[in-house]
Amino acid sequence: MTLQEQIRSNRVRTALVLLGFGVLTLAFVAVIAGAYDPGIAGLIGIVSIVYGLVSWFAAGRIIAAASGAHPVTKAEQPELYRILENVSIAAGLPKTPDLYMIDDPSPNAFAAGRNPDHAYVAVTTGLARLLDERELEGVLAHEVSHIRNRDVRLMSLAAVLVGVIALASDMLMRITIFGGGDRREGGLGAFGAVIGIVAALLAPIGAALLQMSLSRRREYLADASAVETTGDAEGLASALAALRDDHRPLRKVTRATAHLYIESPLRDHRGLRSSLGGLFDTHPPLEDRIRVLEEMGGFQLPPAADQPPGQSSSF
Amino acid sequence: MLVVWIVLGLLLVALLWAVMAYNRLIRLRNESEQGYSAIDIQLKRRADLIPNLVETVKAYAAHERAVFEEVTEARARTLSAGNVGDAAAAERQMRGALGRLFAVAEAYPQLRASENFQQLSAELSDTEDKIAAARRYYNNVVRRFNTAQQTLPTSLLAGPLGFRPREFFELEDEGDRAPVRVSL
Repeated sequence: MTLQEQIRSNRVRTALVLLGFGVLTLAFVAVIAGAYDPGIAGLIGIVSIVYGLVSWFAAGRIIAAASGAHPVTKAEQPELYRILENVSIAAGLPKTPDLYMIDDPSPNAFAAGRNPDHAYVAVTTGLARLLDERELEGVLAHEVSHIRNRDVRLMSLAAVLVGVIALASDMLMRITIFGGGDRREGGLGAFGAVIGIVAALLAPIGAALLQMSLSRRREYLADASAVETTGDAEGLASALAALRDDHRPLRKVTRATAHLYIESPLRDHRGLRSSLGGLFDTHPPLEDRIRVLEEMGGFQLPPAADQPPGQSSSF
Repeated sequence: MLVVWIVLGLLLVALLWAVMAYNRLIRLRNESEQGYSAIDIQLKRRADLIPNLVETVKAYAAHERAVFEEVTEARARTLSAGNVGDAAAAERQMRGALGRLFAVAEAYPQLRASENFQQLSAELSDTEDKIAAARRYYNNVVRRFNTAQQTLPTSLLAGPLGFRPREFFELEDEGDRAPVRVSL
């Protein structure tokens, strides 16, 4: 898949995700209206749509707040900014994205925003401390590639829509529990409660499906674009190896934002991951990504110190 | 009758393909022009640093006239370069001249210790990194543009429509990093 094809496919997927979300909201509202009260249904529908629109335009800020990322200036982080400027130029971005930092010792990074003009790259303080300049260049080039490939728009959209679905089901739960149901006779209150619970259960499954629809292939593509940008496959590969060898989980992370990061921040989910055969993974195994980079650059990194051979591939 | 429809259908498909191929070539040409102007911006930024740098070094090493002249000439050539080939030639000259200028500076510890000189050399090396980055983008785009013009079936269109391969921005000493094969 070329870059242009990727951008086009991202555009189509974005439209599909929006359409799917609209249909889902309508269905949700219709079910409540049928089982419950058209007034409440309309209220939930309107609040969801308004919340969805607001989140779309404030997606970057919402994601920053959810992940504990705050903007830093060029004066505070001259070295990181310089690398970010250089990889943005090499990637042909119209402007250098803003730089955000997350105070967390676990090394990780993500990019978010609506489009290349409203985008930022966030890195943890742990990443800046652990990696050398060449490795940082690889990681930042990977994030900048997500921005250029228009991955961030789709991924940010997914993150906020997951939030909207959670909000809608939460509202329904509250209404079910604290009244609303009193206005009607008979067993409708119980019926509403059942629907509320079902919806609340469906929301995280919807979230997982959304994130999977984002395809782990885009991580490989962003890796390849990063190598094209920097001309240095080894820098990114050794950065990924450093992420692989660090097992500290990120402190402030939710399922809604997990797919944004360069490496899955939910490291404590390792047990679940292996039992489901990687079905719900938001990221391909780092070992596989490193292997692809090794083939590209024609080099060989030393194998992981703490992992027995043959156990890395989970597909 | 059927034959007419088939022919019309084929013509329509060919026309659609031609439009898409043409748009792709235009997009790549625009991108390569943007890429070149990005290099140009950084080259100008560096050219703006040069007079200051020359003055600073002169204050400590006034008699090293040959080096100053060489740098100033390379700067003038950079600013007057009208195409990629000229700009690349000017850039090669500039690299050589700056290399010699810094070699000269090595011999003057007071100069090296001066805050002004340190700040200028930091800015200079930052600009040099950005020139390298812009060059990489430009060369990547030009490679795609030229490949599209030279491979079938787009090559059938590219020549008659007046598309010409663009020149790479090449410097001879590409020793810093070996080229990497990228498979998307």
